[in-house]
Amino acid sequence: MTAADLAIILPEIVLALFAMGAMLAAVYTSKDAMAAALTYGTATVFLIMAFYIAVTGDGTRVGFGGMFIDDAFARFAKVAILLSAAAVLVIGVEAMEKSDLLRFEYPVLITLSVIGMMMMVSAGDLIALYMGLELQSLALYVIASLRRDSVRSTEAGLKYFILGALSSGLLLYGASLVYGYTGTTLFSGIIETAAGGEMALGLLFGLVFVMAGLAFKVSAAPFHMWTPDVYEGAPTPITALLATAPKVAAMALFARVVHDAFGGAVGDWQQIVAVLAVASMFLGAIAAIGQTDIKRLMAYSSISHMGFALIGLAAGTAQGVEAMLIYMAIYVTMNIGTFAFIMTMEKDRRHVTEISALSSFASREPAKALAILVLMFSLAGVPPLVGFFGKYAVLLAAVDAGMVWLAIAGVIASVIGAYYYLRIVYLMYFGDDREGLDGQMGTAAYIGLVGCAALMLLGVINLFGLEAPAAAAAEVLLR
Amino acid sequence: MASSGEAVPRTYGGPAGWISVAIPAALFAYFLQFVPVIAAGTPVVVGFDWVASLDIRLSVLIDGLSLTFALLISGIGTLVTLYSTKYLGEHPEYPRFVLYLMMFMIGMLGLVLADNLIALFVFWEITTISSYLLIGFTSDEAKSRRSALQALLVTGTGGLALLAGMILLGNVAGSFELSVILAQGDMIREHPLYLPILILFLAGAFTKSAQFPFHFWLPNAMAAPTPVSAYLHSATMVKAGVYLMARVNPALGETDVWFWTLIIAGGFTTVFASILAIRQTDIKQVLAYTTLMALGALTLFIGVGTADAIKAMMIFLVVHSLYKAALFLMIGIVDHETGTREAEVLRGLGRKMPLTFLGGAIAAISMAGIPPLFGFIGKEFLYKAGLELDTAMIWVTGTIFAASVLMFAAAGISVLRPFTGPLADTPRPAHEGPWAMWICPLILGVFSLGFGLFPDTAEAWLIAPGTWAVYGDYGYEVDIYLFREVNAAFVLSLVTFAAGAVVYAFHRPLRDWLGRVFEANPIKFDPGWDRVLDGLKALAGWQTRLLQSGVLQKYIFVIFLTFAVGVGATIYLKDALQISVDLRAEYDALSFKVWAVLIFITAGALLTAYTQSRMAAVAALGVVGIGVALIFIMFSAPDVAITQLLVETLVVVLVAVAMLKLPHLGLTKDRGRRPLHAALALTVGTLTTLVLFAVLQSDLDRRLTDYFEIASWPEAFGRNIVNVILVDFRALDTFGEIAVVVIAALAAYALLRGTQYGPPRDEIEGEERR
Repeated sequence: MTAADLAIILPEIVLALFAMGAMLAAVYTSKDAMAAALTYGTATVFLIMAFYIAVTGDGTRVGFGGMFIDDAFARFAKVAILLSAAAVLVIGVEAMEKSDLLRFEYPVLITLSVIGMMMMVSAGDLIALYMGLELQSLALYVIASLRRDSVRSTEAGLKYFILGALSSGLLLYGASLVYGYTGTTLFSGIIETAAGGEMALGLLFGLVFVMAGLAFKVSAAPFHMWTPDVYEGAPTPITALLATAPKVAAMALFARVVHDAFGGAVGDWQQIVAVLAVASMFLGAIAAIGQTDIKRLMAYSSISHMGFALIGLAAGTAQGVEAMLIYMAIYVTMNIGTFAFIMTMEKDRRHVTEISALSSFASREPAKALAILVLMFSLAGVPPLVGFFGKYAVLLAAVDAGMVWLAIAGVIASVIGAYYYLRIVYLMYFGDDREGLDGQMGTAAYIGLVGCAALMLLGVINLFGLEAPAAAAAEVLLR
Repeated sequence: MASSGEAVPRTYGGPAGWISVAIPAALFAYFLQFVPVIAAGTPVVVGFDWVASLDIRLSVLIDGLSLTFALLISGIGTLVTLYSTKYLGEHPEYPRFVLYLMMFMIGMLGLVLADNLIALFVFWEITTISSYLLIGFTSDEAKSRRSALQALLVTGTGGLALLAGMILLGNVAGSFELSVILAQGDMIREHPLYLPILILFLAGAFTKSAQFPFHFWLPNAMAAPTPVSAYLHSATMVKAGVYLMARVNPALGETDVWFWTLIIAGGFTTVFASILAIRQTDIKQVLAYTTLMALGALTLFIGVGTADAIKAMMIFLVVHSLYKAALFLMIGIVDHETGTREAEVLRGLGRKMPLTFLGGAIAAISMAGIPPLFGFIGKEFLYKAGLELDTAMIWVTGTIFAASVLMFAAAGISVLRPFTGPLADTPRPAHEGPWAMWICPLILGVFSLGFGLFPDTAEAWLIAPGTWAVYGDYGYEVDIYLFREVNAAFVLSLVTFAAGAVVYAFHRPLRDWLGRVFEANPIKFDPGWDRVLDGLKALAGWQTRLLQSGVLQKYIFVIFLTFAVGVGATIYLKDALQISVDLRAEYDALSFKVWAVLIFITAGALLTAYTQSRMAAVAALGVVGIGVALIFIMFSAPDVAITQLLVETLVVVLVAVAMLKLPHLGLTKDRGRRPLHAALALTVGTLTTLVLFAVLQSDLDRRLTDYFEIASWPEAFGRNIVNVILVDFRALDTFGEIAVVVIAALAAYALLRGTQYGPPRDEIEGEERR
């Protein structure tokens, strides 16, 4: 453990110290009274760290004997994770306050979870991977059941925990097989063994198990079952968090493992990822149609979107990884905007999540309705909104990699998926019911909603230059 | 036609009104400049990069085809917006309407001018969305909402198929620029992906241009305000599919599949739609079906693909846009001023609405194909192109003949009958509409008549450059004329008039008869569409009930099932079931104590599954864990065994303590699934064992073992490798592990202590709040 190693994990150390300091400060002083200030403080620290990582990061640095990698890929994912977590924290303060859930543990747990995510995307070793994954997951299990007096919330947390533990078990078993057959837990060592021609059978099984565990974390079908229940049961701001930062982390980790550790055996995992992608896209698209709760709908939406992101991964090329990163960045932005709205859905001073409550919303709140329309169209991938470019990028990557069938499946799934996003728009604009939402929206949430919608429109110009860092990130992963 | 926007008084909808007229008028004037350049036969290509890494360029291709479309879009757009200032100017949401209309116009212009396939697609979808918004503009009617959604889903689905086709085509051709792709026709037609590309492109074009069997959305889309019908669903948007087919003709055309698909779909739509047109009583619906007929004819002639056919197609394209837009606008005036569009109610309007009548009449004469209007030329050249084909293809001419006869009758139904005869009572007393409305069909009429009398102008401006662009041969000499000699086509025209007059005379009994025939027909597309949507919802409901029951048991079941299928498939595919271990020898080698432990573990597992007490289950699970620890001891790994024992004990104690606090649960009622679960458990167990066997076949990586064997004595002075690793090589790790166990024990102590004094205060408050 040298100073150079510590310099590499400086952002993680700062966050960890901050989490511990915040915890102590809150426990020994005013406890929940300082929760709001602590939340804003956490968001600020996230922003500073994102800025620090984006500005000072340069080249590839490897610490702790290869266990921790700081490269363009990790930095891209970390900035996305930190920014989205900060946005969700700020937007969610009001909703958390209203439902009397703004505890001081909330920002601390999120910070711990974010450290876990940053570990995940930088992992260069199976043990580091597992550590990051568990740190992230354990914090999230607790946050998901933050509302202890609600049966739904506790049930959500428990389900999340049990299924998560099961998937971690699969992953660990896979990791032990991989270790057994390569004699190392370092990705850089595994790739040397895995690259030479035919993979040993034990190694292959190890890969399958590890991928099953990772599929759970990105909530790809058929490991998706926890998603709708947890999304629905968890308090809405927490659902917003679950839908954004952890997804980026898990998807980046997925890419890291398959490329950094098994990059020499693309043919062996490509088909598995493709099957996961198709199953997720179709399941997410079809199951969402029948939903009446908008949080459950967003859960299926996220499953479907993960399927699309996996298409980029299935391509197995740098172009595919780049497309996946662009897709995830766009996906996160759209979800933050949408959840900023969902958090503030209120009727008679009570938080509601029924889709039917949106009926004829446009006639009362034309500006917000327009913003949601933009977000929904973008989620559906309707051109010229930014969401379309994300879908287009992954489909193009699949075609260029010779997986035409996968691209065509993606197109069909997006047609089916478009239906339910449009149903929301349809309800808002053409709904019959004149009784509907009557709550007020806080400034932060309003900015989140309208800002994200505006990004979907303005991004059409050049995607905010997202392609260059994404391309650099993809390149370094496939070096 | 480029009437200036300032002429419209502000009262007609305020600034939204005149700005909306000025924009298309200015665009029309702008595009007129290109006429001489394009007429000389030089296409213009300009552009810049948009999203470079995705190969999306914003580039413009102006040739005869796109210019013809651009002029029609901006020209008819000017008239439609002018017309709307009066038609919808009073509507409270008129500015919104104008916004959608402008959005559509930009999308449509972009569509026909784009050189990049992806840019074309983006604009294609913009027209779809604005069409959705415009059809549903009168959103308080359930019917318009349904029609809007139907149009969106049908054309949107086709649009995505088109995107898939475009990505494939771009890949095959190595470029997304149309100007590059169109030059590689031969290579594309030879490519193995030609057929998928063609199918996907045609799916897009057929849905957009409402070709059979995707035709049903277009008549429903007539729920839109009439200017929208005139503009989108007759003159421009529905022709986007025709545009696309014409555009890619040099790259994808001239094959058998292309030929037969287009002429069969186009021909069938032509006849089918013109028969349905006679059946309608609502004049707007009559016009909707004749539009379908025209789209079918255009598709048919693109499919035929000879130079003459393409020329006829281009003429008919312009002819149809001019007269059909005029007729829609005319029926809009009638509807606006009398309150009805029913052919049975309207009579004798000519005296009350002479200028509307004049505009409608010119359009109707053009539609009926009577000289000297442009419609006559259009029909003559369709006949001429049809008659030049093989005699085996005579049915192409027959199709056009049948359609022209019915078109003649439809012209009578939609104009002659409502405007002549004695004046009938209407919901509102009939009177002439405002000038901004009646002038629009008249201006279109001027062009119908002008192009008819001076066909050389139409030829030089639009038809010749358009034909060159579609046919892909700039040397072909285009020649169109009103009348030159009495030939077969001319004779056929005369027969058409006679037959058309007969059909018109008997159109009312014919309509009743057709109505009865269609009532009896069991295949209906519109209800079929509803059933598809219902089916999708039912599928969603079914799979949710199956997979998303909320029961954790089922979730875990699915995960293990996936696990079993995945592992089983891998074993099967990799042919991993080659067990070379001598099982018999292994079996004999098992000593008594191993047997005892195995029985111990199995009994523990069975008890866990079968006991009805939670405490017993936890204890039994602990037995399994201790059994495993014993196995570790037997195979001389005491350190692992101790860890296992410690963890196992800690977990059992903690879980037991937690369970003491939980309420007692009754027996699970549903035990019917247990055999299924047992079967899955056995399968997973067997598969895991097989994996272990398979894995043990291949060599483990022995580098580490070798290293420690060599290094343990010289470096750490120990012979037991495990011990050496624990206390020397990994001493720091061991220290960390001990720390973790201590912290866990402390936490456990805190928990246990808590139980003595009941739950903490917070918890009680939480309970009360609930």
